[in-house]
Amino acid sequence: MRAPDAVRLVAALGAVEIAIVRRDPMTGPLLAQASRAADGLTVGPWLAAAADLARASDLWDDASSARARRKAVQVLCRAAAHAVQAQVLGIAATAPPTEGTQ
Amino acid sequence: MRVLGESAGLLRQAGADPERLAALEAAIVAGIGLPARPRADVHVHLGRDRDGHALSPDELLDDMAQWQVDRAVVFALNDPGRDGDFADANRQVMAAAAAAPDRLVPFCRVAPQRGALAAIEAAAAAGARGLKLHPVAQGFAPESPAATACVAAATAHGWPVLVHAGFGARPLADALASVLEAVPDARLVLAHGARGDARAVRARCADHPGIWFDTSLAALPDLIGLPPGRLLFGSDRPYGDYATALQLVGLAARIAGWSDDELAGVLAGNLASLLGEDDAGA
Repeated sequence: MRAPDAVRLVAALGAVEIAIVRRDPMTGPLLAQASRAADGLTVGPWLAAAADLARASDLWDDASSARARRKAVQVLCRAAAHAVQAQVLGIAATAPPTEGTQ
Repeated sequence: MRVLGESAGLLRQAGADPERLAALEAAIVAGIGLPARPRADVHVHLGRDRDGHALSPDELLDDMAQWQVDRAVVFALNDPGRDGDFADANRQVMAAAAAAPDRLVPFCRVAPQRGALAAIEAAAAAGARGLKLHPVAQGFAPESPAATACVAAATAHGWPVLVHAGFGARPLADALASVLEAVPDARLVLAHGARGDARAVRARCADHPGIWFDTSLAALPDLIGLPPGRLLFGSDRPYGDYATALQLVGLAARIAGWSDDELAGVLAGNLASLLGEDDAGA
């Protein structure tokens, strides 16, 4: 991952983190944008999966299933944020599985 | 089966593919190089929060088995009850710990402005081993007389005090210094690596012998600047999850160059020290 890619993703994921906590309707678009920025990078599969989950219309429902999906989105974004920050700080984190394992 | 900290059944109901998510979860910790055991978690909530988050003792014990976490410090979610003193929530936490005494270490949670000193004494009699304070959720200043009295009462029992220091926290460095001046023997564990005010806390009081930090939902750049001898692994279940909690510690260890002993301390040994168990030969 090149430094500009990493810095771009750190910023994008910071925005997504706050949007999720605030239940902001911009969460989906912000996450889709972060996913596109990560396409082809090691964290791409995590963010693609998170963006898929966030596309659901009832993301903010109080139903247990919707809450579980929100939490899964948060975990995938957090994993990506940690990996990208580690890259910025000097090491490469483990890559998620490639297409064949998803 | 739980995936990413959530029930696979609920995720399937929500239209997700748990098998795909499980493969992604496995990759989060793959290659991180963490020792399998022992692992001890200093930051877990039990019960049901006003915000809808919930975790039962059985769910936690299942999570711990899945992630090879031997012990966890547990305390109530934000469920202060009708009287605002966390009496029922604390009783449930103590009962859960009594049912799994080798796995769960109970802390009590109080609102300093609502019957806190009586609640601390009741919890002590029921087997509590520490105190949890959440200045944001309960709306108090950490250095207020009521909060300082709680820290003094906990310290008199030999307890550490876990303090929320993440999202929403006010400036903490001066407040903590004030508390430590009033209660010099206090041991304060700043949750989330003091994420809410990390640079100021590190500059002002990170080397104070009474200041510790937990890793739950912390920021990686903060963790690598903190002394590993004062760091305690934490998950913040059910807000956090074990996969990324372990990923965070593994990455911090590699970036900061912690020794094997330092990493083992963060994962478990430092909690035993905090609880005074190494002094007792436990």
